[in-house]
Amino acid sequence: MTFVLLMAAREFRASWRRLLFFFVCVAIGVGAIVALRSIIQSVRSGLTGEARAMIASDVVIQSNRAWTPEVRRDLDAQLAKTPVAARQDSIEMATMVRAERGAAVARMVELRGVESGFPFYGRFTLQGGAPYSHDLLVGRGTLVRPELLAQLGIRVGDRIMIGGQPFTVRGVIEQEPGGSAGGFSLGSRVLVDLADLRGTGLLTFGSRATHQILLKIAEENAALRLVREVRANFRERFVTARSFRSTENQIGESLERAENFLSLVGFIIVVLGGIGVWSVTRVFVQQKIPSVAILKCLGASTRQVLAAYVAQVALLALAGSALGVGLAAVGIRSIPASLTAALGRVAYGLTLSAVLQGLAVGLLVSLLFALVPLLEVRRVKPLLLLRGFNLAAAGQPWTGSLVSRLRARLAALDLLQAATGVLVAIALVVVASWQAGSWRAGAAVTIGFAGIAAVLYGAAFVLVRAVSPLASMRWFPLRHAVVSLRRPGNQTRVILLAVGLGSFFVLGVRSLQNDLIAEFALALDPKGADMFLIDVQRDQAGGVRALLVDRQDPGAPPPRLVPILRARVTGVKGREVTLDSFSDVRGRGSLGREYGITYRNALEENERVTEGRFWTGEPPLDPDAPLHEVSIEQSIHERFGIEVGDTMRFDVLGRIMQARVTSVRRVEWADARSGGFMFVFRPGALDKAPQTFVGFLKGPADLTARLRLQYDLVTKYPNVTAVDGREIIGRIQKVLDNAVLAISIVGGIALLSGTLILIGAVAMTRYQRVYEAAILRTLGASTRTLGTMLAIEYCALGLLAGAIGAAGAAALTWGVTRHVLDIAWRPAPVLLVSGALLTTALVAVVGVAASTEVLRKKPLGALRAE
Amino acid sequence: MIELRGVSKTVPSGDGTLTILHPLDLSIPDRHVVAITGPSGSGKSTLLGLIAGLDAPTSGQILVGGTDITTLGEDALARLRGTHIGFVFQFFHLLPSLTALENVRVPMEIAGARDAERRGRALLDEVGLSERGHHYPSQLSGGEQQRVAIARALANDPPLLLADEPTGNLDSTTGRQVIDLLLQVNRSRGTTLVLVTHDADLAALADLTIGLRDGAIASRTARPPAS
Repeated sequence: MTFVLLMAAREFRASWRRLLFFFVCVAIGVGAIVALRSIIQSVRSGLTGEARAMIASDVVIQSNRAWTPEVRRDLDAQLAKTPVAARQDSIEMATMVRAERGAAVARMVELRGVESGFPFYGRFTLQGGAPYSHDLLVGRGTLVRPELLAQLGIRVGDRIMIGGQPFTVRGVIEQEPGGSAGGFSLGSRVLVDLADLRGTGLLTFGSRATHQILLKIAEENAALRLVREVRANFRERFVTARSFRSTENQIGESLERAENFLSLVGFIIVVLGGIGVWSVTRVFVQQKIPSVAILKCLGASTRQVLAAYVAQVALLALAGSALGVGLAAVGIRSIPASLTAALGRVAYGLTLSAVLQGLAVGLLVSLLFALVPLLEVRRVKPLLLLRGFNLAAAGQPWTGSLVSRLRARLAALDLLQAATGVLVAIALVVVASWQAGSWRAGAAVTIGFAGIAAVLYGAAFVLVRAVSPLASMRWFPLRHAVVSLRRPGNQTRVILLAVGLGSFFVLGVRSLQNDLIAEFALALDPKGADMFLIDVQRDQAGGVRALLVDRQDPGAPPPRLVPILRARVTGVKGREVTLDSFSDVRGRGSLGREYGITYRNALEENERVTEGRFWTGEPPLDPDAPLHEVSIEQSIHERFGIEVGDTMRFDVLGRIMQARVTSVRRVEWADARSGGFMFVFRPGALDKAPQTFVGFLKGPADLTARLRLQYDLVTKYPNVTAVDGREIIGRIQKVLDNAVLAISIVGGIALLSGTLILIGAVAMTRYQRVYEAAILRTLGASTRTLGTMLAIEYCALGLLAGAIGAAGAAALTWGVTRHVLDIAWRPAPVLLVSGALLTTALVAVVGVAASTEVLRKKPLGALRAE
Repeated sequence: MIELRGVSKTVPSGDGTLTILHPLDLSIPDRHVVAITGPSGSGKSTLLGLIAGLDAPTSGQILVGGTDITTLGEDALARLRGTHIGFVFQFFHLLPSLTALENVRVPMEIAGARDAERRGRALLDEVGLSERGHHYPSQLSGGEQQRVAIARALANDPPLLLADEPTGNLDSTTGRQVIDLLLQVNRSRGTTLVLVTHDADLAALADLTIGLRDGAIASRTARPPAS
């Protein structure tokens, strides 16, 4: 034991410089794992601690409809059974505000009306350190975010118009309780007194407001019970409830998924590092053959020698992992703020669990990848010492027929080594599954890796075969470059594996990213609608339409106002499914949710009928007919098995209606300019029912004109919300850009690992190359000839690795777009070809640069050293 | 006492076999100095390797201290080498990543000896290198390296010392010093010394010189007892 440890320590002392590269391979992967996990864990602990502040209470009961007296009464009865310490009402809604005087600008905001005592948990931080108090809101006061002041060009003390009424800005919100977790919102927060909000004209029929009851309940069990009971008893009346605990769990779960996914990415980088470790160890063992022979000669058993080298690898792996933790610490500090802003204000730092996991994965993967090559020391015979060494014979030349080579391989197959290989593969699946938090994901990643590795390995074989005829060419550099590819102990496979995987990863991520961006770009179709109006009341429809037409650019398609009603499916009587009550419907998952429905007598541009017949051109039905007609969307038909001819029962704002399904439509969702409805009714039934309109229009191209239109709309119709699609897409773009940046960073790290492996692989065969070059020089080869030889060799390797990487990336993108993201696949030939060429250039440059010593060294010195 | 009984070595070569050593008998008494000479390819090193258990004979028995080492497994052979046999090679074969002192300590550490440090220093002192213990092999001259190798060979005080062309890589003056050191070890410690050599001067100093030719013993010359 002492011997093993002493030997490991001494060898470490001598070899760490040569194995520096081993270090870095492990360090980068471990750094990635530790950094990614730490960030997510920091976010998680930051957010879950604030779950109460995020919902400002222990329990929120909410509905997207105004409380009816009956619901209110029943809720009160329910609350009477719960030890409620305090309660208050709140309303949240998206609406438009404008400055009373000044710039003609209107902005969409998220308005919240609150009562005195809000919030139960958490704290508002106001600019200038002023304390928050409800008095600031009372009497048409408001608190807003700094960006709104800038957008409207106003200051504290000025007045803004909300729902047609003036409110005085009395302070600026620096931070809301619970932060703005989630990142994406339609507008900035505006806080007003609840009574004042009710006094505006905003709460009209059909307006999209969330009505909340906030509760403070000291006893957690009572709170959880209340949530359960409200969910069970009030669901049919559009009321839901959540506790700070369920909020916490929700955040926790999605963050855990994110953490596991990102860790899997980290693991992939570690595996890339592992391949580096494998290649380093392989060469290292070859170089250590004399030492092993000496130790055996001095009486060390194979076990002792093996243990000494395993201990050495473990030491190196630990040191590399520790370096990785350091890198992660530095990396976390240098994350661009824009990237993390969306995740809320969180103190980022290394977490203990992330560090321990990183160290464990680094150590495990290094040992696993080093083990198989290390087993070679078992074969070293001390007799070598009496015979003199021939290191060049250590590797197997790639010659002879396939069959004879296979046979030789089989004969030389070491059972223990093979068994260890299998165990290592299993262990990798286990580690991957551990990191991914799922067996399926772990197995998929490992198998994917193995598959690509097998392809690369096969490709290496094919490459060597394919270029072999060139060995008979007359041009000396070419002939020798070809011979080099299959020289004994060559690094062809290792380089192909490392660089091929690296380029596969980077190109795959890049082209996926392109597909995603292209998919979102569709929404910016220049011909389509780019402004949307919500909550237009029936009596406003005419006026709004006139205003819109007046402001549109000439030649723009006329604006469209589509009636929208809210409805719920309460029963289905059909050939395949029969759902008698709403609770049956609810059992079918999302079929039980509330749908926006409409009526019209023609198909939209983005629709086509796949089954049955649409009522185009037919007269409206009698409003009092017992059975109406409805057209359903393809997904409803597919997911819930509802067929043409089935009868459905709807609850349209309390009115029960029966309708027969007369057609199935497929809506092209990607083409959003005409909107899309799951249920479209034949005119007649709903014409007189209470309804609001949503508007689609192609707004003016000029930004000032757009702002002016929004402003005038809000001035004239304060309850109408006008959403600028361009702005929303801009916001989505920003979120997307951050995601792209994060993905690019990860891809970059993978590329870096690939490059390092390449440098390492080249550096490791240097000794042999220096010797060969010396012989060739002695025989008269010039530096230029040697350089050309190297360049050809590496170009061939790079081209192949790049081509395989690109092909793999294309396959990956195809699979992911088709089967995971469900978006169109767009081949990216330019990206892939340039990626392959860049890889070639990289390999050639790195290969030749890492070999400068080969070109520089004087032949005599090299020959003597040998 | 080392005894070889009908020991032969053949290796497969192409379709047939190649005989490296024809069956031979040899006995080497304790405390003797035996030189094995012969031209290149005569089987000298193979014979030495067989005695050390570095290779297995095709037939025959090899008894070292009464034990038939041909029946031992790899690890048992390693233990035997560690405690009973010291090696000196033509190319020194010091571990390049270890200092001189550490090189000397290694066999003791492998055997689990407790006072490796003290004994290592004493051995370096014995070969006249007590000042150079902290140097790495690359910082030592050839002669110094070979003396470290001798100190290492003596680490576990083995009864048998095997030397493969110990002076083959040294100039004549340094070679002479190494020979003197080996002979001195033989006299002071009573270590049996078997050396393979081309060096006629060195062979002349042996108690028994075995001449090999084409894998068979061609001559046995015993030195007349010193007068």
